[in-house]
Amino acid sequence: MKTHKLFENNSHTWLMFGRDDEKPEQIIDTNQYIVISNKNALLMDPGGIELFSAMLSAVIKQLPADKITHLFASHQDPDIISSLGLWDQALPSATLHSPWIWESFIKHFGMNNISYSAIPDEGSSLKIDQVTLDFIPAHYLHSSGNFNVYDKEAKILMSGDIGAALETVDAPLFVEDFDEHIDKMKMFHQRWMPSNEAKNDWVKRVRKLDIEMMCPQHGRIFKGDNVKRFLDWFEALEVGLIAKAKAQE
Amino acid sequence: MSELSNNYFVSVAEIAAKLDQATRIAQQLSLTASNARAVALRAGERAAGFRPLTDFIDRLAEITIKSSRKINKLAANLSQTSADKVRADSAIAHFKVVFVKAKDSEFISSLDEVHQRSLTRQAKLDFSYRRQIDRLSDELEMLSSELRNAVILATLSRVEASQAGTQYQDALINVADNVEGAASKIKEHIHYSQQMVSTLEEY
Ligand SMILES: [Fe+2]
Ligand SMILES: [Fe+2]
Repeated sequence: MKTHKLFENNSHTWLMFGRDDEKPEQIIDTNQYIVISNKNALLMDPGGIELFSAMLSAVIKQLPADKITHLFASHQDPDIISSLGLWDQALPSATLHSPWIWESFIKHFGMNNISYSAIPDEGSSLKIDQVTLDFIPAHYLHSSGNFNVYDKEAKILMSGDIGAALETVDAPLFVEDFDEHIDKMKMFHQRWMPSNEAKNDWVKRVRKLDIEMMCPQHGRIFKGDNVKRFLDWFEALEVGLIAKAKAQE
Repeated sequence: MSELSNNYFVSVAEIAAKLDQATRIAQQLSLTASNARAVALRAGERAAGFRPLTDFIDRLAEITIKSSRKINKLAANLSQTSADKVRADSAIAHFKVVFVKAKDSEFISSLDEVHQRSLTRQAKLDFSYRRQIDRLSDELEMLSSELRNAVILATLSRVEASQAGTQYQDALINVADNVEGAASKIKEHIHYSQQMVSTLEEY
């Protein structure tokens, strides 16, 4: 599992964990992100149960475990949060922020110690030390209850499955040639995302945000102009149709 | 490790299933008791000796049902404890990997407390797991010895049936057969469960 620093200023740091070359085959590669402030940290989409020891090992090299006071799960998928039962033992006093609609589902992964903070449909904010992080609604993209995390100071949008690409573990961290990258994202967005209406509404809202880096849970990070390129491409893409996804392959 | 855990999950579930079958047979036994009472009533004076036996059949059915319910509950608790135990075992196994992988980290000791907590929890779960198995084992033994009475009951029923006169004899012998059949089926389930429990004791 590799660790990469995305942003750092006086108040906080963004790290990305991923490209785990020890992960078992046939498990989708995932990117995990953490925001570390003075005394606290928020770990986002901590990943699947298969990844737990690699993740905890990577994290513990950066900060003491008990500094992770908050967890975030953008939605209920196993690649996002099936490790919960183990984090529950490792971080017993942490709080998990996740969509309200998934509370009774996510608890199936095992949650006896961690407390659940349900994010309402319209979103909310979390303040850790001096840092404010916004939970931005991204419902139906792809999960029917789904949020992104936006940090206006760092200009980073953690976009979960939006912008995801299916790639090998040795893929570069950043999108280099956007047009070339389309092939790796197209089927994923068309097949996994169910709603054009939800997609277009999201694009409209996200365009108003100042974003330097858009960080998906799979694949590469979009930086600078590639963020706008992604939004344009995504807006024009028709999603939610199996037949179309197949025909356009 | 996971294969072992799967085994004890399955064993606990099988015990619960077997006892569920035992409960159903016991319910039939209780039906047999009311039939027997009706026949004995119709047979009148000649079947007077049979009537108290129907009370015994009833009692046997009742004990079996009650005990099966109790054992089912114990099995359900045991299944919950095993699930918790698997989680605790798994957390400890994962922590072990982290202690190796990140041994040079300056923050590695920040895991000591949760690791210790998991170990304590594992020990506690181990203890309650064993205690629950003991209770399950005792309860099965109790029910099994209770069922030994069924054989005596069936023999006595046959003796009484032979004195009830030809008109009722067959019906009452049938009752005796039912009691014996039900008891031996229940016993089979119990015996199977006891074997399962003994495999659980090995973990
Ligand atoms: Fe997902
Ligand atoms: Fe995902």
